[in-house]
Amino acid sequence: MYGKSLLVGAALLPGLAVAGHAKEDWPEPVKEYYTGQVLFDRLELTRTNEEENVAVWDMMAWYGGDYHRFVFKSEGENIQDDGEPTDLESAELLYGYLMSPFWSFQAGVGTRGSLSSDASMENYAVVSFMGLAPYWFEMDNSLMVNEEGDVQFVSETEYEWQLTQTSYLQPRIELTANLTDSDKYERQSGLSNLRVGLRYRHEISREFAPYIGVYWNGALGNTADEMKRMSEDTTETGVVLGARVWF
Amino acid sequence: MSNEFNKGRRKFIKSAFTVASALAIAKVAPTWATPQGRKFKDQVLTKDEIDLTIAKSPLLVGNKVGTPITINGQMPGPLIRLKEGQRAKLNVTNRLSEDTSIHWHGIILPENMDGVPGVSFEGIKPWRTYKYRYDVEQNGTYWYHSHSGLQEQLGHLGPLVIEPKDGDIGADREHTIILSDWTFEDPDTVFRNLKVAEGYYNYQKRTIFETFEDVRQQGLEKTWKQREMWGQMRMSPRDIADVTGSTYTYLMNGRDSQMNWSALFKPGEKVRLRIINGSAMSYFDVRIPGLEMTVVAADGQPVKPVPVDEFRIGVAETYDVIVQPKQNKPYTIFAESFDRSGYVRGTLTPEIGLEAEVPDLRPAVERGMAAMGMGAMAMSGDMKGNSMNMKHMGGNNSHMTHKMTHKKELPVENIKIKHRESGHGAGAAMIATNPVSRLHEPGIGLEDVDHKVLVYTDLVGAHEWPDTREPERQIELHLTGNMERYMWSFDGKKFTEVDGPVQFHHGERLRLVMVNDTMMDHPIHLHGMWMELENGQYPRPRKHTISLKPSEKVSLLITADAPGSWAFHCHLLYHMKAGMFRVVNVA
Repeated sequence: MYGKSLLVGAALLPGLAVAGHAKEDWPEPVKEYYTGQVLFDRLELTRTNEEENVAVWDMMAWYGGDYHRFVFKSEGENIQDDGEPTDLESAELLYGYLMSPFWSFQAGVGTRGSLSSDASMENYAVVSFMGLAPYWFEMDNSLMVNEEGDVQFVSETEYEWQLTQTSYLQPRIELTANLTDSDKYERQSGLSNLRVGLRYRHEISREFAPYIGVYWNGALGNTADEMKRMSEDTTETGVVLGARVWF
Repeated sequence: MSNEFNKGRRKFIKSAFTVASALAIAKVAPTWATPQGRKFKDQVLTKDEIDLTIAKSPLLVGNKVGTPITINGQMPGPLIRLKEGQRAKLNVTNRLSEDTSIHWHGIILPENMDGVPGVSFEGIKPWRTYKYRYDVEQNGTYWYHSHSGLQEQLGHLGPLVIEPKDGDIGADREHTIILSDWTFEDPDTVFRNLKVAEGYYNYQKRTIFETFEDVRQQGLEKTWKQREMWGQMRMSPRDIADVTGSTYTYLMNGRDSQMNWSALFKPGEKVRLRIINGSAMSYFDVRIPGLEMTVVAADGQPVKPVPVDEFRIGVAETYDVIVQPKQNKPYTIFAESFDRSGYVRGTLTPEIGLEAEVPDLRPAVERGMAAMGMGAMAMSGDMKGNSMNMKHMGGNNSHMTHKMTHKKELPVENIKIKHRESGHGAGAAMIATNPVSRLHEPGIGLEDVDHKVLVYTDLVGAHEWPDTREPERQIELHLTGNMERYMWSFDGKKFTEVDGPVQFHHGERLRLVMVNDTMMDHPIHLHGMWMELENGQYPRPRKHTISLKPSEKVSLLITADAPGSWAFHCHLLYHMKAGMFRVVNVA
């Protein structure tokens, strides 16, 4: 028995030595590559038609390899000089997997709410399909479920018209829909919000590109009805000045 | 070095060639790249045993000081001249703070002398010396370079010339020209930029105004049809080179265009130019306006002479050409990056200090339908199972007319390429639905030039190779990639994803079929064995590096006579680093 396994071992070993391209103490000729990036797609100051100044961020950071990545996404704003705390629209920690050449599936948890000491945050689970659709539409579609079981869907789409080798005209659409009513967070079911923006971006370098732009934001459906009932404006327009920055 | 040049002809006062500038040149230029070159039957200036020291040292590159990796203080490294039949004794000492290696590109040698860390040996640790020993059984123009990390991008490379036994170089004089691409950026930064920001170095993208102009000229419908396929595939027809002149300084023997590397000739002399593309990422189109070049060797191996006006040299390829300038005037040696983002020039001149007119860069180029395997569809008549149909053929008929003139049927044209329904997974953004042979095409940007450009089908081996057997077995490999994440692979799998080597049986005769399922050109290099290109000629030309165009299929014959493990990879440095690498095991 023992002799037989020895024989098998001897027969296997030379094969192993040849087939294994890296002998044990040799380095791999090509290694898996890991890197990361922090990208502020929007880091801007907004002047609204209500004459408010708002600082806005919309960022993503990731680390990992080609298929598996940890992703952090965050969006938020702070209305200047209103005495109110910063509004964190989202902060999400996700695991991303490249499922097809242009699309990754992401799943994780997120939180949002007013960044003040006494506010309670809304925590939620989120799945996203993020990637590049045919004709170069950059998309991020997320489905969120909070602790109350409220379901919300947010879809962001960006496109780029190349004006010169370093300047772009970029439309952006963000659509929000609530699949359920939420009493706690005062959300009405149905399409709730549409934001359309257009910006002109000029690259100082690939990493740093200031831009100017305009946007229109409008409440939709039941959400708009509710706002009208409360005598609130259902639309908002503004101009933005900011920069797209990555490192 | 030889100094046989007729001193009476020299006029030292001419131009800016003063003692000071001569010294400046001497400091940056590899000492072998002297203008005199080497004359026929000179003494061989090679010691029996050659010591090479690898170190990082500041050096003037163009008009700025960089920190390349030097070999014996030079970048590119010294010209190593060996003689066919000798035993090569090369001692490589590492004075870097990291491991290094030297791979002798195109040389047939034992497995443990091939210099690929992790495949043929463990690499050379800092402050250690590796003694390379092998019998030189071939002659011709080759080169050597690091196979460790991205060191090649830092200039860790040099020319290797092996003289034939009889010493006959078929010319009165010879010059060795090694082309390279230098960046002042850290190569790791370049790689990360490619990884995280698709198109980072491409400053030739199509703008909306060009689209407007196309609409104005040819109408909306036609313009849309041309754009449609690219849009669906999410690929750019202007994506020719991943790393471009926006960061690269192109060098000829270590000098940029301004420094103007010069090579002397006497009118009427036959001059052999040994041209090596030692670039990390750059294909070059090489021409000498006013001079016809006769190609006499490809990848160091002799071919039947082909007169051409221009040739494209893929990364890692070498070509030997003979020129015979009759007039007593300078000629520009012009090497233009194939995406037209830059060039380097040198001068072939009867006197030091002269220069000739430098041509303009030709306009940026765009890939046509042939890149998608659409060019030959009319010929193949095989429309079944093809999602693309004729209406997409748009206005691009030039490729079709090229195809019409192409008669000879190649073995690869009868090989059916099948793709799995699911493609090659997330690592491969496209498959070539209808791959075709494109060996008779000069390549992107050269389709419509009005002079003779070398094509692979022009190459005929100078003589028969020892193994004339028919292939017993066929191996098919697909070149795959995903630009968005800068993943490059074979069969959709990066090197880190495969579980074993590509197996060759010792002694067998193989046909290797490769299909390029990407939108880029790839120079594919097999270590340790020759690849005979089935280009319809006999004797076939044999190559160590074969460049594949987008949606091309090629077949090559290989005699698996070199036992051991060998690297097989794309010679675009960052593609290799990204995973386009396999180990071939011969046992």
